[in-house]
Amino acid sequence: MLAPPEDIHGMNIAVVKKILGQGCTPLIITVNQPFKVLTKIYTKEGIDSSKFYVIDTVTQYSGGVCEENPRVHYINNPSNLTDLGIAISEVLKQMPDKKKCIMFDSVSMLLIHIPSATASKFFHFVVNKLKLSDVSGIFLCVEKGLDPVILSQMSSFVDKIVDFEPEIIAKP
Amino acid sequence: MSQKIVLSHKTGFFSEDDDNLFKAVFDRIQTGIIIIDPDTHSIVDANPIAEEILGSSKSEMINRMCHEYICPAKEGTCPVTDNNTAIANEERIFINKKGEKVAVQKTVAKVKINGKEYLVESFVDISDRKKADDRKVALIGFMNESVLRIRRPLELTKMNMQLIADQVKSGEYESEEIRMELQIQANNISQMIKNLDDLVRMVAEERGEEIPKEFREFLLGK
Repeated sequence: MLAPPEDIHGMNIAVVKKILGQGCTPLIITVNQPFKVLTKIYTKEGIDSSKFYVIDTVTQYSGGVCEENPRVHYINNPSNLTDLGIAISEVLKQMPDKKKCIMFDSVSMLLIHIPSATASKFFHFVVNKLKLSDVSGIFLCVEKGLDPVILSQMSSFVDKIVDFEPEIIAKP
Repeated sequence: MSQKIVLSHKTGFFSEDDDNLFKAVFDRIQTGIIIIDPDTHSIVDANPIAEEILGSSKSEMINRMCHEYICPAKEGTCPVTDNNTAIANEERIFINKKGEKVAVQKTVAKVKINGKEYLVESFVDISDRKKADDRKVALIGFMNESVLRIRRPLELTKMNMQLIADQVKSGEYESEEIRMELQIQANNISQMIKNLDDLVRMVAEERGEEIPKEFREFLLGK
């Protein structure tokens, strides 16, 4: 899903609400906000913190304390794609057997840490893993935040590239 | 201007002592020209620029098959005589005597000389232009990667900073939470600076000799 930079936080919240509204359990992969802050923001927005799982790649990166929580898995650095891949598999296994959906926030921030060509390969790997596990996935990205070549590569393995429109996603 | 052009199997169409306008043009034009007998597909003449581009002498080329030198098509699949395809100002790759690829723009025309049909293959070396095009593509790639890995994340960082400012104002966030968020933004900015340095270094290394030595050293941080 693509949105202008000023809408990316709004898109995150709207997408999590939409996933929960569909009876899915979201797994949020955050390369932007630490788990503690994310939980506070979601709670403020009326999202129950017992309803989602998180892979947090930035708490350790910021020198923060990784508080024990069965719903959160910490990675030491957003550029550690090996651990991130393993964590995705582990947390998906740990999640209850009902519908699951991962939300990656955001592709654009991950590009600070790795080159776009590596990011493209990583997302291809993740999408394949999701397809094999019958899990849905949503990747948030700043509009025009992807190389047209990479966007066309990604469009070959994702189902759809969607422009975020707040008023549309807000409808039940 | 009705001079008779005589084909010699040793020297091509023109002998060394020929003194006519066509020979003068053939020898001095800054375009490679190869004349081919379409019946046998053998080379019957080549001018000095063709020798230079292909790295082979005229004597090495005469009586050799054209697909050994200037055309990748196999025998019996000549694009001009077998497939009736026109070749006009098309980009092709020749392999010279050293085995190096040479980008050329070539045209093949049918002509009648002394009542017999020949193929006149003319070509210019466009390697420099291709290199310039490749550099342009590399530069666009560099700009593109810079925008993706620096400009867009900077826009997001700006939004994050605004969000953090709002969080401080709300008084609902602990100082450690704010510190962590600020530290993430600081680390990200450091990484963006590193990315920019890496991209500049890559360009400096790739462009090599084209960049003045002192400036290259400055870019490489020497």
